[in-house]
Amino acid sequence: MGVVRNVFKRKMRAFLTIFGITIGVFALVVMGGLAEKLNLLVDGGVDYYKDKVLITEGGSGAAVLGSSPITTDLVAEIEAIEGVELASAEVGMVLDDDPTAVTFGIPPMIVGDDLRWLEIPDAALRIADGRELTVDDSGVAVVGADLVAMLDAEVGGTIELRGETFEVVGIAEKTLAGTDTLVRVPMADAQRLFHATLPAALQDVLEPETLALQIVAYAADGVDADELATEIAASVEGISATGPEAFQAQVVDSMAMFNTIIFGVALVSLLVGGLSVINTMTMAVAERTREIGVRKAIGATSGAIMRQFVAESAVIGVTGGLLGLGLGWLTTLALNSAGDASATALFEVTTRLALGSVGFALVLGVLAGLYPAWHAARLDPVRALRYE
Amino acid sequence: MDPIVTVAGLTKRYRLGKDNYVDALRGASLEIARGEMVAIMGPSGSGKSTLMHIAGCLDRPDSGEVHLNGRRVDQLRGRALTTVRGREVGFIFQGFNLIPTMTALENVALAAEYAGASRRDAADKARSLLELVGLADRMRHAPTELSGGQQQRVAIARALVNDPAIVMGDEPTGDLDTATSAEIVGVMREINTERGTTFVLVTHNPEVAEVCDRTIHMRDGIVEAVTA
Repeated sequence: MGVVRNVFKRKMRAFLTIFGITIGVFALVVMGGLAEKLNLLVDGGVDYYKDKVLITEGGSGAAVLGSSPITTDLVAEIEAIEGVELASAEVGMVLDDDPTAVTFGIPPMIVGDDLRWLEIPDAALRIADGRELTVDDSGVAVVGADLVAMLDAEVGGTIELRGETFEVVGIAEKTLAGTDTLVRVPMADAQRLFHATLPAALQDVLEPETLALQIVAYAADGVDADELATEIAASVEGISATGPEAFQAQVVDSMAMFNTIIFGVALVSLLVGGLSVINTMTMAVAERTREIGVRKAIGATSGAIMRQFVAESAVIGVTGGLLGLGLGWLTTLALNSAGDASATALFEVTTRLALGSVGFALVLGVLAGLYPAWHAARLDPVRALRYE
Repeated sequence: MDPIVTVAGLTKRYRLGKDNYVDALRGASLEIARGEMVAIMGPSGSGKSTLMHIAGCLDRPDSGEVHLNGRRVDQLRGRALTTVRGREVGFIFQGFNLIPTMTALENVALAAEYAGASRRDAADKARSLLELVGLADRMRHAPTELSGGQQQRVAIARALVNDPAIVMGDEPTGDLDTATSAEIVGVMREINTERGTTFVLVTHNPEVAEVCDRTIHMRDGIVEAVTA
């Protein structure tokens, strides 16, 4: 009875204590939102790579400006390898060469490919508005969900890509993964745009029509993509073939470290908030010693006293948690919309993050209340009644 | 005589520090009859509050026997002691001791809820008792919005809410002026007469003792005399 009223009787103290939890949960929500967004990108990557082998030039990694970039001619050669269901050539480049546009996450890209993967069931991206590209298209584009605001794109309208005008035929559905920041154009258009970015010496040597940056080999059913990568690397000269394991090793494992650090920092600030709850509740018990004596005199069991103070502490925790979630969520919305112009939606407050952070604040409130409540419950009623 | 409280040979020593203690009770014995209204008087430190606390199951004696409403209670501890206290005894204190964040109604209902009543039953009982003590129009008021006499009436209603066999008051008129003091004692006497509730009042006030059936005089931890 009167749990909430008791908490807010000392308004300033209640506010400060709740604010401590609020700051902790705020940090958890904002930083967790960042981690969750990156996790989604990584999950999207893991999902994308799980049955594919990426074939790029050389083994050195200097794929773009190497002496003999891979060409579309390789597609047939790779498809001939046993275990390859289909191979598809791709050309991609960053949307802007502007060096000041430093982005965190995946930068906006222009990508063109031969669309051969459309034959793979379920491989197609979902289109939110308009249509998918076809092999006969030219001068058209499908825009990723996060780029709509930045490019001011709408189906039927036009956008500028590296100085050329493209008609927007489709807007891709939001996937929360890397594809949200892609503009996809027909292969020939991408090849021409890419060719124009090459140094003059290379432009003379390379034909735009056969240009490719990477070839994606789709593993046939039941074929292990990592084994297939080894197989492809062995049978084709001058290329590097990467299976899902390499992505796992490079990105997922470093993500785990990143997650640990981010959540660690947020948890530390929450623990500080938890300590202030312990302090507040201990003071509340001391101030209300006489009240505790009265409650016991009129028949309260130790359990009832314990429950009451734990409940008050839980109210502090949950109130702080909800405020922190609200503030954090609004902050991520504000930061995301500020980033809209450059397509850098960095935060994603997932349901599990929201529930988890408020749940954690509740558990913290309960735990922080346990000791003061236990102390209150075992007060001797006669001494408590005499307490001035 | 049908005794509701019998205490025999109670001793209680409070330790204040390492070789420093107070013998609050040194073998106090007494009987209180069902339906009686008695005052306990005596100088400060004579053990009257300690006697009342032990008889009311708030505290335990070092030795001696306590029978409350036909049951031996001096051996009880923890939850069992709390249960007997909640059901058989009602307490009224000098400083009223209402819970400041609760309304009059909630203060009274709280004691019923502690004794296991449902929220609705507790509120119903609380309402009828507040009517009994003449506070029908003050039920939603916070203690700070009530006068001293009104607060003590709420405390009396709270003490009665579980239909206890006995109500114990520790200086129940100590913070009240003479007129209000007489009024509160009058309320208790009325309840004593009409409902047959036993009252034991620790007091310094001879006017309170005068209203009671008997007065128990204590000195140095024992019952020195009983006057009618």
